[in-house]
Parts: sequence; C-alpha cells; structure tokens
Amino acid sequence: MRVFLDLGWFFKQEKKAYISGIAILLFVALLQLVPPKVIGIIADHINDGTLTKGLLFEWMAILVGAGIGMYVLRYFWRIMIFGSAVKLSKQLRNQLYQHFTNMSPSFYQKRRTGDLMAHATNDLSAIQQTAGAGVLTLVDSLSTGGTVILAMAFTISWKLTLICLIPMPFMAILTSWFGTMLHRTFHKAQEAFSDLNDKTQESISGIKVIKTFGQEKEDIEDFRKQSDDVVQKNIVVAKIDSLYDPTISIIVGISFFLAITFGSKYVLTGELTIGELIAFTTYLGLLIWPMLAFGWLFNIVERGRASYDRVAALLREKSDITDREHALDVVPSGDIHYDIKKFTFPGEKEPMLKDVAFSINRGETLGIVGKTGAGKTTLLKLLIREFEDYEGGITIGGHTLQDYKLEKLREAIGYVPQDHFLFSASVAENIAFTNPLVPEEEINSAARLANIHDDILQFTDGYQTVVGERGVSLSGGQKQRISIARALLMNPEVLVLDDSLSAVDAKTEEAILSSLRKNREGKTTIITSHRLSAIQHANLILVLEYGKVIERGTHDELMANHGWYKEMYLRQQLEELVEHGGH
Amino acid sequence: MEETAQLTEKEQKNVLFRLLSYTKPHKKELILAFTLLVITTLGELAGPLLVKIFIDDYLTPGNLVFGPLIILGASYLGIQIVKSLLMFFQLVKFQEIALKIIQQLRVDIFTKVHSLGLKYFDQTPAGSIVSRVTNDTEAIKDMFVTVISTFIQSGFLLAGIFITMFILDVKLALFCLIFIPLILLVMSLYRKYSSRYYLDMRERLSQLNAKLSESLQGMSIIQVFRQEKRLRKEFEDINEKHYNAGMKNIKIDGLLLRPAVDLIFILGLIIVLNYFGLTSLNSPVEIGVLYAFVNYLERFFEPVNNMMMRLSLYQQAIVAGARVFRILDKEELAPPQNEESNLSIEEGSIEFKNLTFSYDGQRDVLKNISFTARPGETVALVGHTGSGKSSIINLLMRFYEYEKGDILVDGKSIRDFSKDELRDKMGLVLQDPFLFFGSVRDNITLHNHHLTDEQVEEAAKFVQAHTFIEKLEDSYNHKVVERGSTLSSGQRQLIAFARTIAANPKILVLDEATANIDTETEEAIQTALAKMRKGRTTIAIAHRLSTIQDADLILVLHQGEIVERGTHQELLALGGLYHKMFLLQNGAVDRLEDVMQ
Repeated sequence: MRVFLDLGWFFKQEKKAYISGIAILLFVALLQLVPPKVIGIIADHINDGTLTKGLLFEWMAILVGAGIGMYVLRYFWRIMIFGSAVKLSKQLRNQLYQHFTNMSPSFYQKRRTGDLMAHATNDLSAIQQTAGAGVLTLVDSLSTGGTVILAMAFTISWKLTLICLIPMPFMAILTSWFGTMLHRTFHKAQEAFSDLNDKTQESISGIKVIKTFGQEKEDIEDFRKQSDDVVQKNIVVAKIDSLYDPTISIIVGISFFLAITFGSKYVLTGELTIGELIAFTTYLGLLIWPMLAFGWLFNIVERGRASYDRVAALLREKSDITDREHALDVVPSGDIHYDIKKFTFPGEKEPMLKDVAFSINRGETLGIVGKTGAGKTTLLKLLIREFEDYEGGITIGGHTLQDYKLEKLREAIGYVPQDHFLFSASVAENIAFTNPLVPEEEINSAARLANIHDDILQFTDGYQTVVGERGVSLSGGQKQRISIARALLMNPEVLVLDDSLSAVDAKTEEAILSSLRKNREGKTTIITSHRLSAIQHANLILVLEYGKVIERGTHDELMANHGWYKEMYLRQQLEELVEHGGH
Repeated sequence: MEETAQLTEKEQKNVLFRLLSYTKPHKKELILAFTLLVITTLGELAGPLLVKIFIDDYLTPGNLVFGPLIILGASYLGIQIVKSLLMFFQLVKFQEIALKIIQQLRVDIFTKVHSLGLKYFDQTPAGSIVSRVTNDTEAIKDMFVTVISTFIQSGFLLAGIFITMFILDVKLALFCLIFIPLILLVMSLYRKYSSRYYLDMRERLSQLNAKLSESLQGMSIIQVFRQEKRLRKEFEDINEKHYNAGMKNIKIDGLLLRPAVDLIFILGLIIVLNYFGLTSLNSPVEIGVLYAFVNYLERFFEPVNNMMMRLSLYQQAIVAGARVFRILDKEELAPPQNEESNLSIEEGSIEFKNLTFSYDGQRDVLKNISFTARPGETVALVGHTGSGKSSIINLLMRFYEYEKGDILVDGKSIRDFSKDELRDKMGLVLQDPFLFFGSVRDNITLHNHHLTDEQVEEAAKFVQAHTFIEKLEDSYNHKVVERGSTLSSGQRQLIAFARTIAANPKILVLDEATANIDTETEEAIQTALAKMRKGRTTIAIAHRLSTIQDADLILVLHQGEIVERGTHQELLALGGLYHKMFLLQNGAVDRLEDVMQ
C-alpha cells in the first residue's frame, strides 16, 4: 500500500477529482442497496397479500430513480478516477521524455533503448493501473463491501450476516494467491514465448545456412518442439487461470447455502420474513465483487509499486553535463585550440586520446585521418561536450568550452555525425530540423550545397517525401547528404563533418567539397575521413593512431613525408582505379 | 492498424471461418469440452431451482420434514461442488484446444516460410516475418482462448437461463425476451464506437511509442542541434492526443459497458417485480419462482459483460489472421527441383553456359557468364563489390531462379537433380559464418544427429579447429551465445568449415570472409582451406588474392562480366585489372607510386 503514499503528490494535485470520485463511489455504494431491499419488500407484500397497485408503482419509481442515478454516477466516477489515472500516466510520460532529453551520452551508454522504452510503456501502464483500478478497488471494495455488510447486519439480521461471511475471506485470500501464481507462471510462459521469438529470428537470419545444408525439415521439427514448450507453459497458466471461476463458485455456493439454511431457520422462528431472506441473498450476491477486488488489489498494488520505484529511480538520475554558474550567454566564435593531455571513456581502462594539441584559426579547415578506432570521432565529441572528463582543455575564441552555456556552444556547431540518423518526417522537415519555420528557399539552397537537391526532386513527393525508419528507404549516400544539408542550414560558426562523405562517390564528394569551400568562406570547418581526398585541401591535417597524433601538416608536406599518409593516399588512388575497372 | 479498414465484412468473415477450420482435427476433444460445458451450465441453473423448490414446497407452507430437506441441502451442495470441479476441467480443456490450434498454425506458417525463396527474404524485413510467426499468432491465440470460449460459455449460460425461465413461467419469460434486442443494441453500439475509439487509441499509442523510440535513438542529434524543447512539445502534443483518446474510451466504456448493462438489469427487475406484483393482486404467486427469476437475472448479465469486454480482442485477431493467411498464400516459392530424379553427382564438374541473370527483372547483374570447373579443380572469382561474384554463388546454390543460360553439373542441368542430392553434395561456406544458439558441437552437426562425436572431432581436426575448441570452456559443449560474439571471427569461420566438412560435400563453394582475422587463426584458416579444396571441385570468392594463387582458373569480374580470365601468373603478366588489385594488396609503396604514374 506504500505506493499510495508515494503517489500522494498526484492525489493532492488531483484532489478535486479524487475526492468527488470517491464521494460518488460511496453514494453509488449506498444506491446499490436499494434494489435488493425493494425486492425483499415487494416479496413480503406479495406473501402477506398487502400489495396494492399504488404501493407497487411507488417502489418501482424508487427503483427507476436508483437505476438512473447509478448509471449517471457510475459514468462520472469512471471519468474522475480512471481519467485521473490516464492523466497521471500522461504526466509521467512527459516527465520521462523531458528527462531523457536532458541526459548526456554517458547515461545512454549504460542503458539500452529497449529498457528505457519498457519503463515508459510497461511501467507507466502498471502505475496507471494503480492510480485507477487500484484506487477504485480499494475504495469500492471497502465502501460496497462495508455498506452491504452493514445493511445486511442492521436491516436484516446480524447473526445471519456473520454466519454467511465466514467463507468470504477465503475468496480474497485465494484470489490474491492465484494472482501471485498467475503472475509467476505467466512470466515463465512469456519467457518461453520470447525464446520462440528468438528461435524464429535466428532461423530467418540464418536461412541461407539452413537452405545450404538442406535442413528445413529438421529446423521445423526444432521449431515445433519449442512451440510445444510454449504450449505446455501456457497450459500451466490456463490451469491457474481456470481456478478462479470454480473457486468463486464454490465459496459463493457455500455462502448461499448457509444463508438459506440458517435464514429459513430464522424465518420459521419469526425473526425474518421470506422477503428479507430473498433480499439477503441478493445482498450476498453484491459481496462477490468486493471480495474478488480485494484479492486483486494486492496484485495491482504490488506491481504498481515495483514499477513506480523503477520510474522514480530513473527520474532521480542527474545529467553529468550542465551549465556552470554565470556561463557566457554568447555564441562562441574565433580560433579553436585543443590541448588534451588524456581522455578515457567512462568505464574504460585504456585512454582514447593522449597528448593531442593543435590550433586552427577561424575560417580554416582541419582534416583528421586515421584508422577506425584511432580517436577521430572522440576528438569531435569533446568539442560538442558529449563527454567532459579529460585532462587538458579546449578553447574557442579564448574561452574554454565550459565557459559557454551548453546551448550557445551547440548553436555554434553544425554537426554531421557518422551514423546519419534521419527522423520519420519529410525531407524538408529533416533539413529544417533546427528551424522548422525557415523559408523554402533556404531549405533548397542547403540541399543544393549538399548536392542532394536533384535527388530530392526525383523522390515521389519531392521535399515532402517521408524518410526515416517508417519512410522510403534512401541510399547511405543520400542520407549522408541530407544530414549535411541539415547542418548547413544552420550556417554554423563551426561545421563538423564526421566521416560524412564515406558513402558518396568521388565525383559527388568533390562537388560538395568545392561548394563548401565557397560557402564556408571565413568560417571554420572540421572534417574527419577515411578517404584522404576529402581532406586534401585542409589547412591542417592530423594523422591519428591509437589516440596520438603521428603526422601533421598540409597535404603537400605529408606527401613529402613518406609516412602513413602517403602510403594510404597512393593505395586509395589505386583502389579507385580498380573500382572503375582499371582505367 | 489501418489494415482493419481495408478488410471488408466479407473478408473478415472469411478469415474467421478459415481460423475456425483449424478446430477440425480437435473434434473429439471439442465434443468432450462441450459436454462438460453443458453439464456445468445445468449445474449453474439447478442451484436457484432447488432453492425455489425449498421456498415454495417447504418454507412457505412451514412444512419442514427432516429427510427430504437433508436430501435437498446435500444435493445443493453436491451440485455446487461437482459443477465447480467440472467447470475447472472444461475451462482448461477449451484453453488447451485453443493452444493446440495455435501451435498448428504456428508450425504451418513456419513451414511455409521455409518453403519460400530467398527473394522473399530480400524483400521482407526479418522483423516483420518474425512478427507474423509469433506476435500475430499470439493475437489469434487471445481470440481462441478468451473470445471464443467466453462467447461459447456465455451463450450457453444465456440459452440455459432462458430455457429455465420458460419452464418456470412462459409469460414472464416472454417478457424477458425484450432484453435480447436491447442487449444486442448496446453491444452493436459499443462495438461500433469502441472499435473506432479503441483503434484510435492504439494508433496514438503506437505513434507515441514510435516517437519515443525514435527520439531515444536520435537523442544525440536532438541535443547537438538544440531541439530538446521543440521535440518535447511535439511529444507532449502526441501524448495529449493519446490522453484524449484514452478519455474517450473511458467515456464510451462508462456509457455503454457495465453501467449500461447494470441499468438493463434494473429494468429487468422492474419487469419481474411488476409482473409478480400485478399477478398477485388477482391470484396467488409462488415466492420461490420470484426468487429464482431474480437470481437468474443476476446471473444473466455477467456473461453479457464478459462478452462485451472481449470484442476488441476479436477485431485484433481478425487483422492478425488476415496477415498470417497472406503469408500462407504466398507463391514466391524457392526454385523448384526435380524431386522425382535419382540422378546423383558423381564427378562434380560444373559448367556455366551463357548465364544472364537479374534480381529485379530490369538490371542484369550477370551478363553472359560462361566457364567450366572440371572435377577437383578450383575456380576463383575476384572483383570489386557489386561485380557479380556473390550472384554466381547464389545461382549455383539455387537460392534464386535464373531464366537465361544454364548451369550444368556433371553435364546435366542443375534443375534435374533433387534438392536433397544438391544439398548433400554441395557445401557452402558463407562469408558471415552464422552460428546458432547451442553448443559448438550442435553448430558442427547442425541437425544431423547421425554424426558421432568422433566424426565431429575428426572434422574439427581436419579444419584446424580442434585445438582452439579444446581450449574453450566445456570444449565441444561450449555454449555459443549471441551468434558467437564471444568467439573471434576467425574461430567462427573455422567452426563453419568444420560444419561443411562434417557433411563431406563433393563440391565446395566458398565465400571468403572479408573481416580482419587475427594472424594466428589466419594461418589455420589457410591450411584448412587448402586441405578442404583437395579432391573437391571448388568455386571460391576470394578477397585476398594471396589465397588463390594456385587456383586452376581465376575469373575477374567487373559489372557482371568476366573481364579477365586465366591463372595467377597469366593474369599478372597481362598487367590489367587483376595486376592492379594484386599490387593494391601486396605492393610496397614504391611499386604503388610506379603504377600511379
């Protein structure tokens, strides 16, 4: 029940809805007492022969009133209580989303997207259950149960009430116990199902191997076995699930039996009328639900608490990259100076960068090359403050990165990442990502600069074509160029291309680079690349290996050097030749 | 979700009937389950009837005879207990049948998937196939387990209640018949509106989840471009819409679900009480009958509530069923073989004759390819990405059907051999050595259980894999997890070799791995490859030219054509594409400089 305390802030916030909802629930509980009572009274009148038409219609009018009243009130408490619960999940979902947008990459390194998704879906729905069905069952089972028992005890017979209630607690205990078992076996069945899912996934990914060895039949047999396992585990679930109805039926049956047996004894001794006995059994029927609900309540609350704890823990996490006090509220510009003594990724042993120091003047182009894993991307990630714990410092225009507000720093940098990620939106929206209100001409001109304009016009809906996970599939080169256009639209102080030309052919690369040279006049550009042609014209080229600068200089200087750069350059030239059939 | 809209009433009905046809093999069990259901329903109905007899015959007249009362009480309790027990078995039975039906459906669709050609797998994302086999069938399971059994049970109970009512009092029962249209009306209203709003909410939820998942994946982009606020706003908008849809659902449920059914119950009470009240003004009335009617009325509405709550599941199951049947009806089968044939591959010669091939029917990826590999010879394919090397292997392995030209094995068209013969005599080692979940041994034998431990070990020794496997924890029983990510790529390659050698093929097809392999295993791989090729006709894709210098024939491919052919020495002497490729991989810097000038 502690979860109700944890959710106290929400109940306070929505106190109007909860108070009126609970008040209505109580009122409905009272109204529920009317029909059985009317049945009893009419039966007695019939039995005694004292019934008149007028009397009958009077009672019928009361019944109609109670019926309509209950209908209306039941509608309203649902809106108040269930509605608040939906509101809670909406609110928490927004909070989670906001929290996610504030967290730095080190947070995402520790967690898988799937797990974060599970918190935002499964856990929130369990919490919603607690705030809705949980509150309802708690209030309803107490109020309906309470009023019905009181009505039975005070208006009919307290002795009979006590006798008939004996079997009822067993129902609450048993259903709660079944609930726990059901949860456990269901979990096992889910696991078996997820194994079957993995098996299917594996068969489809390995379809070539299976076909090669002609093992279709054997694989199907294997699938049948696993699928059998799923069936067996589900049958266990089915068995526990099937315990509910019979258990209720037996316990209610016994209760009714007690009511009739002892009730008739009281009728004969004159303590009860027949009508009262009938009313009593009808009340007994009303008790089934609260007892069942009480059993459920424990399960709902238990799950809700576990989920709320997980979500709350997630929300408590703090981002490790924040603005310092009095940070500069200006967009940085000027010369860039790197002096990194050592940087190690959180949780890693080996440093990723060692003694990397260089300067580039405003308006210059820096090229960074080296093998995969040499530290090229890491160098860029430090510039956009995705990671911070390093020895040394990076300055722009004489101030360290941390002197600027994070938002201002990032406003200065147009970043084109290695893994070109596009959103499920139109091409235009993807390019105008930083400013959805930008005029169409600017989108077009950014696209032209990135050499993608003509491609876009070929798409079925032009700039309105939806791309991304759920849109049309684009080639890697097209995605890269759209990412470049997205960064160019900002006209940033510093443009960063992180191996973003790898999937375009040499001619397109040359076209993009030459239009960049014109467009980026006076602004700084940083390019990392596997292909040396992309950085050939840079003012400074750094060759990285194992996080260290092993060569530096301009293209001509490096070619005279007879080192890694020259060998790689020649190799790539030859490779290009081979790609074109040797001519 | 939008797919429901596309299913016409008639199509929905077809899907339902086709799903129901899966019950046929379970006729006997179904009859048993139905018998149990009839008995429990009778037991359900007997309770109030016994109380009625008690009230009218014994209690009201004050005629309490000990003997008959004991019998009455005992039979009441007895019926309750027996009924509850049978109810348990009946509920389990229905679910069991449903689960078995789904099992059959799952195996059917999995079998079907295996019979499809690779073309289908190229066009369909693996995730969506998996989802058909598992998630969609799961949705159908929900229908069989909950919807159908709830409807059958509720239907039975309702019919039983009406029959008993008619036995008790025909006139009153006739009055009560007006519930049927009323309930049907509420149900159809509910189905109409709730399915609309429910689908709307599901759609919003999937939008919400899609947005969230996309944002999580693209979070670094969002942050680096400072769009956190805007995306928060967008997310809040979708969330708000989802909230509104959720509220609408609550309202519809509130208007038409339990509260409405309860209101109908009150209406029923009014009818019953009025009937008895008015009748009692003129003639005596049996109070017990009144009791029984009221009691039946109470029981009447629970099944109705149950049925209404299951309606949305039904809708989902039909959509899922339609998707599953679409796969079952697919006709893109794997290329056919002559299964009647008892031709066998004796020599292992291979000839490509003027073969032209296209995946999409528009762009030829192979143009007029001809070459011959005599028994025991090695033919190597080299060329840049997209030059057509893999396509040659895909055709030789019969993964795709070709139209123009032919492939001859031992002088006969490859189509004339049975599938089993081809799979037995031809071994393929893939570039990506796919490892399955299970032990190392399982990965060598695959499903071939005739292989003894000695044979497995022999195969592993033959390909130089034995040494490293022995060093693994549990050696041959070492568990392969996550597609073998704990093993090095070279080790995975060696296991794949062992797998092929254990099957002892006549013809070997190799797609060399491009991945960087540590020097230690590299050596083992080269030795293994040389041994494997001995005595087998081999078609090999080579990325490292050093590995195929002794090949009998090297084909250099460029854009689907064979541009150079000959032995290593002949091709080097030619000074063309092959020569350049060789330099690229093996040349020193000064040689490179020479060529470039």
